[in-house]
Amino acid sequence: MNAATQSHAQPRPERDEAYNFAYLDEQTKRMIRRGLLKAVAIPGYQVPFGGREMPLPYGWGTGGMQLTAAILGAEDVLKVIDQGADDTTNAVSIRRFFARTAGVETTERTPEATIIQTRHRIPETPLHADQIMVYQVPIPDPLRFIEPSETETRTMHALNDYGVMHVKLYEDIATFGHIATAYAYPVTVNERYVMDPSPIPKFDNPKLDMSPALMLFAAGREKRLYAVPPFTRVTSLDFEDHPFEVQKWAHNCAICGSHDSFLDELILDDRGTQSFVCSDTDYCAQRVSQGRAEQ
Amino acid sequence: MSAISTNAAAASAVAMSAKGMNATLLQPAFADPVLDAQRSFRVALKALAGPGVAQSLQSAQTPPRLDGLASASHALCLALLDIDTPLWLAPTFDTPAIRANLTFHCGCPIVSDRQNARFALLDGSQLHDLSGFDLGNDRYPDQSCTLLVQLPSLQGGRQLAWQGPGIESKNHVSLPLQEGFWAERESRNDFPRGIDVFFVAGSELMGLPRSTNVLFKALPSKGDA
Repeated sequence: MNAATQSHAQPRPERDEAYNFAYLDEQTKRMIRRGLLKAVAIPGYQVPFGGREMPLPYGWGTGGMQLTAAILGAEDVLKVIDQGADDTTNAVSIRRFFARTAGVETTERTPEATIIQTRHRIPETPLHADQIMVYQVPIPDPLRFIEPSETETRTMHALNDYGVMHVKLYEDIATFGHIATAYAYPVTVNERYVMDPSPIPKFDNPKLDMSPALMLFAAGREKRLYAVPPFTRVTSLDFEDHPFEVQKWAHNCAICGSHDSFLDELILDDRGTQSFVCSDTDYCAQRVSQGRAEQ
Repeated sequence: MSAISTNAAAASAVAMSAKGMNATLLQPAFADPVLDAQRSFRVALKALAGPGVAQSLQSAQTPPRLDGLASASHALCLALLDIDTPLWLAPTFDTPAIRANLTFHCGCPIVSDRQNARFALLDGSQLHDLSGFDLGNDRYPDQSCTLLVQLPSLQGGRQLAWQGPGIESKNHVSLPLQEGFWAERESRNDFPRGIDVFFVAGSELMGLPRSTNVLFKALPSKGDA
């Protein structure tokens, strides 16, 4: 929990001049930027882009990194989280990558960041209008698990033909008695495109709806990017008699005591003793330091 | 970084060697092509993600004056155009200076056929007829043409309310446009197909993506010409 002691952005690092600013070449950035403008204009639609090879394997956030590289400027403050944590390998590596190639300030504090690249979580601290979220996405098409052909799914998106998504959710209900999809829970954006919100827990889905921040998504291997503009209606698919619900816990966070954040389960010993802690390390650390200040 | 000096040097070299018109035509572009392009793009992104709110480019990041182009139009062209983006120019902008500079700095093909353009540069007098521009198709709506519309000002017309993604409730916008534009836009907007527009005046720009719903009836016709 070293975020507790780091309440301010780290000093601006030296940029490695051997690389172009933020690693990617300018023509690639322009191509991604044009794609992003179209993605914003057609909320939830997956724009194909010429994904480049990045100096790390697919699945480690190559899509998100290409978007971050295309939008990042010298004045930006970058935060990177992986499963809510600022101090995991993937988050630390990506933060260091941009500190080195772009010389930008980085931070672990959600309110201080102007760009937040994320894998699998949306911060608990509410976002504001001057922030851009960049999501790393493995499989961008929510229909892919049902229909493997890109030609078919593209037609389904074009024809607004999403009945099969409800069939998938219904099969959950028929098998388990409730909608068992817990992450990458499909959403409808602005009453048109069905979109994969990336593998965030469904707990985070409501944060997408009418958010003041711009949300950008990219899949490096599949070479697709898409966007949810600020203040856009994002609704999770559900049924009248099985409305969408988010996860709830009977426990509080063992560190900060929060009862309304997304909790990770920890197994403490061989007898299966459980403990629960916040998945968002910055949120947890801020609550701890606030609690100390109040005492 | 080195790209600028190369560009500027090349520009002056070409200008020197070509004794005729080119000597006066070619001008330097962004002072810092990497970061100025990024800043211009971010302003454009913000404008499109918040339709109806004017965003302005800081003078430090805009390119030197190019006759006939507003500084924001010039900056958008330099930031977004390259060899992959055929550009259509309205007659007002089809000048030797604009052709020479955009061809040189962006490398974009300039096309005479609207259908083949990915970007188009228009002025207010063109807006009654948007025929020919690519609207994308239902499977690839992103393949549509983006319009850059240069106006004398972003205010002074009939006030309309805009609604849709990027707008919390309603934005009241009074762009000085011919009435014909709205009918043209309406007739060509068949979401997800449609036209995305950047309105530009001086160093300011405003985005109008196809997803924005423009309300005509809800407002009293105050100041309606």
